[in-house]
Amino acid sequence: MNKPIVEIRNLNKTFKSDNQTLLALEDINLSIPQGKFVVLIGPSGCGKTTLINLIAGFEKPSSGSILLEGKPIEKPGPDRGFVFQDYALFPWKTVLGNVMFGLVNNGWKKEEARERAKEFIHMVNLTGFEQNFPHTLSGGMRQRVSIARALAYDPKVLLMDEPFGALDAQTRKHMQKELADVWEKTHKTVVFITHSVIEAVYLADIIVVMTARPGKVKAIIDVDVPRPRKYTEEHYLEIREQVLSHLDAEIEKEQMQHPI
Amino acid sequence: MKVNENNWQRFLAVIPIAVFLVSWEYLAKYQIINAHLFPQPTQIIRSLATLYSKGQPENSELLMHISATLKRLLLSFTFGVIGGILVGCLMSINQKFHSFLNPIISLFMPIPGMALAPLVIVWLGFGDPTIIFLGAISVFFPVVFNTIAGIKSINKQLIRAGQIMGLSQIKIATQIYFPWALVHILNGVRIGLARGWMTIVAVEFIAASNWGIGYMIWNAAEYLRADVVYGGILVLIILYFAIERITIRNLENKTVVRWGLLSQKNG
Amino acid sequence: MNNNSAKATLQSILQTIYPFLVIGVIWEVSVQLNWMPSSNLSSPSIILQRFIDVAFMDGILWKHFLSSFTRLVIGFSLASVLGLITGALLSMQPLLNKMFEPVINLLVSVPTIAWVPVLLITMGLGDKTVITTIFLGSYFVIVYNTMRGIEIVDKNIINAAHSMGVHGTKLFAKVLIPASFLSILTGLRLGLGYAWRALVGGEMLSAMIQWGVGKMIFQARFWNDTATMIVGILIIGFSVILIDQVMINYIEKITVYRWGMVNQVEESNLE
Repeated sequence: MNKPIVEIRNLNKTFKSDNQTLLALEDINLSIPQGKFVVLIGPSGCGKTTLINLIAGFEKPSSGSILLEGKPIEKPGPDRGFVFQDYALFPWKTVLGNVMFGLVNNGWKKEEARERAKEFIHMVNLTGFEQNFPHTLSGGMRQRVSIARALAYDPKVLLMDEPFGALDAQTRKHMQKELADVWEKTHKTVVFITHSVIEAVYLADIIVVMTARPGKVKAIIDVDVPRPRKYTEEHYLEIREQVLSHLDAEIEKEQMQHPI
Repeated sequence: MKVNENNWQRFLAVIPIAVFLVSWEYLAKYQIINAHLFPQPTQIIRSLATLYSKGQPENSELLMHISATLKRLLLSFTFGVIGGILVGCLMSINQKFHSFLNPIISLFMPIPGMALAPLVIVWLGFGDPTIIFLGAISVFFPVVFNTIAGIKSINKQLIRAGQIMGLSQIKIATQIYFPWALVHILNGVRIGLARGWMTIVAVEFIAASNWGIGYMIWNAAEYLRADVVYGGILVLIILYFAIERITIRNLENKTVVRWGLLSQKNG
Repeated sequence: MNNNSAKATLQSILQTIYPFLVIGVIWEVSVQLNWMPSSNLSSPSIILQRFIDVAFMDGILWKHFLSSFTRLVIGFSLASVLGLITGALLSMQPLLNKMFEPVINLLVSVPTIAWVPVLLITMGLGDKTVITTIFLGSYFVIVYNTMRGIEIVDKNIINAAHSMGVHGTKLFAKVLIPASFLSILTGLRLGLGYAWRALVGGEMLSAMIQWGVGKMIFQARFWNDTATMIVGILIIGFSVILIDQVMINYIEKITVYRWGMVNQVEESNLE
């Protein structure tokens, strides 16, 4: 059950621009167990977005490998799902059209795709909005469509790049709960990026703290607080402190690299 | 409340025109201004009516002028838009193609169609071929330009969303690039329509043999028929208004406005 | 990195010229080998020769150009100044704004050339007509864009200014104009385009004019002189680019780009 589904081995990623070479990730070794909610957290520029892009296949490793179920990841594909911070919904398609998109383009028949899409729209509590265009929806609603779209075609791993970053504080809290509920129903393997420690401890089974650039794995913390979680439980707060202390040290380091 | 607001706006808009026309009517009537140079608006309308009924029952002269110009516009528009979109897509996909054509397009795009007219007349003679050719060129340029801009402006994340869902390159081009670029393309099409219209009317002045509104106006000027000249301008205004309403607004409303990708008014 | 940027500029210049060189060579060769009748389209060598003749030998190209340029400057400057003032005044009064905006929009849609016959009848066949055509062609579009630009200024900016005690003409000059600068520039750009059309069209249609690039192209028809036509066309092309790039781009650079206000009126962005 806890067999690793994504394995990252000796991963390095370097970016080259005109006259600069940037080492973003250094010697990452990480196993993502199946069915677990894994959160990557770290200071700005630590490479967490790069890492998730590598798992998605949007970038290629400079050295080392990433394996999905034992096979190396070479390009993006429907065995993974991705939720973007800016939603990336297709504005010319309705909510239903967006959620159906991954299905229809992967061999599903229209009628079946429609039914399945409706199920997922229901799962994210947007029943009734199937015919809406994205621009008529609030940020939180758009993100829910985004999540439904990514889950609909049953990817093996769900990747989420600071999905709630663009939302206001209240909506954000609400969405965290909704995501936790949805996850309970599906138990998908999730790799989730955030800046917020509270969010991380609320959602994660495992928290991976990354160092300042070049990004390395600093600490892996098991979050064994039972679900559904409350922000005020004692054990929750303990883990929070743990993560924070790791994080603060890294943020300080990062500030010293790039003083304002 | 909303209905009242709109009606009020329309009423306000009509006032300056009405004041202008009424003053003109009476200034001309009482010879305060030269009625030969500035015929009364009622006279202008009458002349238009005459032109309309002239030649009936087979062919109204006025309608023949209008249909000649519209025919040229339709053909120019079709060629220009199709050519523009094709070349625009090609230039967006192929960098070599782009580097080669871009300087040429940049040089010729701002040149007024009229400047090219004498040259084109040498090649294609007077009449439809020249007019349609120049019209098509003037539609072509804004469409190409905006097609390229549209394709270039796409939000990269939309592409990535398509990639992660397993779409092939072709599918990404047709299902993601194209709808996105449509906003810009339509904008280019609208500008192209305006440019095409202007160019066709202008070229008709010197290249049309016997039909066309431009020809009608120029001919009237040569015979000092001020009433037909003004009548022609009126016809131009009404026609263009109708054309733009029917084609572009319709197209936009069904697509990009519905998708929330276009703010209502444009500068 | 002076070396690098000089190299880059050189590279981009070469890249721009390259297509023309290719076409020019193919064209020249086709004419020389008689693949293409030179009566229809003079070869580049002839065009070059003609250019040297009219530009340097006779010097008449310069005369033509100067006439055109003068008309353009007079007509366009008047249209710009009066257009900005008109647009500004109209936009200050909401009532006037609502009354005149549709009318002006309507007038912008009239093909510039259509003014010429009216003016020919009333003003004759000379310089005045051409300059007035240029004026009318650019005036309305400048007024319209100025009005629209001021209309869409963020109300919060105006409120901020009011709360600092800035009203009336001061508000206008120091806040409204800079805030609407992008639209104003768009209006000027469009106006310049229409001005060129008016210039060329007006010169071609005004029989009493002797000098002008448009006239030069038009007259060349009577001798089937495609070489002169092409020289004229290219001169127009280069002039437009020069004026647009040098003047307007420069103004853009020191104002709206610097202020980061480039995409003032934008389609609602994908979130």
